[in-house]
Amino acid sequence: MKDEVRTLPKQYHDAIEHWQRHNFPDYPKLAEEWDRFFPKDQSFCLCAKIAEDIPSQIEVGDRKGEAKALAPRDLPDEAAQHLLMQIKAQASTEFGSIQQHQGTLARAQEPQDHAWALRVMAEELRHGYQMVHLLTSADWSPVTKTKAADMVEEILSMQTGSHVLAAFNLEYDSFLDNVVFAAFIDRVGKYQLTMQKISAYKPYASSMPPMLREEAFHLAAGVIPLRRWVEAAARGDGYITMQDIQKAIGKWFGRGLEMFGDERGGQTNVKYGLKDMANREAQDKYIDELQRMLDDLDERYVRARFPSAGRDESEKRFARIKAGETVDGIAPEDLLRLPDRRFFRRRGEYAYQMVGTHGESFSDVELYIAHVLANLPDAYRASIDVKHWADLQREVSRGEMPLKDAINSMPRLARMGGGCPCAKSVRWVQESAAS
Amino acid sequence: MSDVRVRPMTELDIEGICRIDERITGKYRPEVWEQRAAYYLRRDPDSSQVAEADGRVVGFMLGEVRGGEFGLEEPTGWVEFFGVDPSSREKGVGRRLIEALLGHFRSKGAHVARTMVAAQDKDIAAFIAAMGFAPAPLTALEKRL
Repeated sequence: MKDEVRTLPKQYHDAIEHWQRHNFPDYPKLAEEWDRFFPKDQSFCLCAKIAEDIPSQIEVGDRKGEAKALAPRDLPDEAAQHLLMQIKAQASTEFGSIQQHQGTLARAQEPQDHAWALRVMAEELRHGYQMVHLLTSADWSPVTKTKAADMVEEILSMQTGSHVLAAFNLEYDSFLDNVVFAAFIDRVGKYQLTMQKISAYKPYASSMPPMLREEAFHLAAGVIPLRRWVEAAARGDGYITMQDIQKAIGKWFGRGLEMFGDERGGQTNVKYGLKDMANREAQDKYIDELQRMLDDLDERYVRARFPSAGRDESEKRFARIKAGETVDGIAPEDLLRLPDRRFFRRRGEYAYQMVGTHGESFSDVELYIAHVLANLPDAYRASIDVKHWADLQREVSRGEMPLKDAINSMPRLARMGGGCPCAKSVRWVQESAAS
Repeated sequence: MSDVRVRPMTELDIEGICRIDERITGKYRPEVWEQRAAYYLRRDPDSSQVAEADGRVVGFMLGEVRGGEFGLEEPTGWVEFFGVDPSSREKGVGRRLIEALLGHFRSKGAHVARTMVAAQDKDIAAFIAAMGFAPAPLTALEKRL
């Protein structure tokens, strides 16, 4: 059960390293911090890893039992189109998250938190590398007229604001976002990778297990700092309050849900054997898992507020608070909670419906906007993204904009080539390598 | 107790592991278990196992395959931390956990599993022996510093 390691052709490898120098300048620090924080761990490898023990037969869908495709041309046309979109979207998320993390990485208060986030970023870079490997190691000409080099160039040109999914187009406001993102958005990543592990395209399925193993640590890099922060918040000696964390949840939860796709969709992926769950089913499991995470965090908070109470008494108090009581000064609203899944939604079944954090409906758009703003972090409220959403919410609510147009609208969405500050893109590296 | 499910540990099992540790030792040590869980999750998240019943963690077993320890070059599956909730003992939870862990060790190419047991832990020694572990031709030595 060992992974095969592959390196990209030089021009693509160089292009990713070039991208790293501009978008992930802290990457060299990982080597400096490795021995202190990850002693004995295998050193980081910027490479593609291919799992060897992947089933050869399609595992779900209409063609279950048939041989998995080894090349895009082996798939039905529509399935190949879906697959290519999946790979490009996955690549966009990997590179996009690094750009987001980089902005606030240096603001980590604890050296361990910094090192963990740095490792997460490096592993996301490896995951992006893995997606580029998939795009450049197969003949996609039956699926698209775009050449591999152009697909890679498009992905490496994306910036925060021009990525495929909205969750990767939000700036981080503080290191709190690095951590909440890892706990919430990387968790969606875990679901996507797990669903894609059964992909009818064997090279894609083979890419998933190594990525999933790394993703397990990414989730820990989100949950463990949160566990410590809620305890510090309970003791009153922390810098991050429960309200800060709650508002960060308000910022990310809806975007995480939307990464699954429209609640009503996803059956085509199952039909073609590209994923083993439709969108709503996966989303429901994700919500259950997040609820479990928040219950754990809240239990720890309650325990830390009354350190002499003991485990059993603490669990009883938490159960009463969760049921709606105020117990010894802790009210339900003092604990972390998941907003209603329809809150602050911009895509999917509930897009632009005016539903509050507790599931309450609003009929006045200005009251709704005020409600959403009150549940978002201050710095994020000041962003172009929030203003863009509020403008669209008003237009949709007043019937001045079709819902479909609002769903497709993101600020600064225009995709731009030559995103690299020195304008040296994939082609430039190729020409340089050839000269 | 309803059906027990054994599965790889995740970051969401930390509090459950703390709960079992506290019931056994009387100490609440979340930071200790967070560090340990992070260690195993980043090195091999499929290795360490938890047993779950009624949505609660009722047992855990942490370990991994390493080579080169104490000059032992062969890949060795190290069983390093484990615990079963006192209310869930005598129900085969420990056996299920160790079978899952040893199965993973085998899949990673290990042909031997090793562990160490404190001399005063008679119950643990009896459990480990019942699982087929025998005294090894190695002696644990120590010197107080």
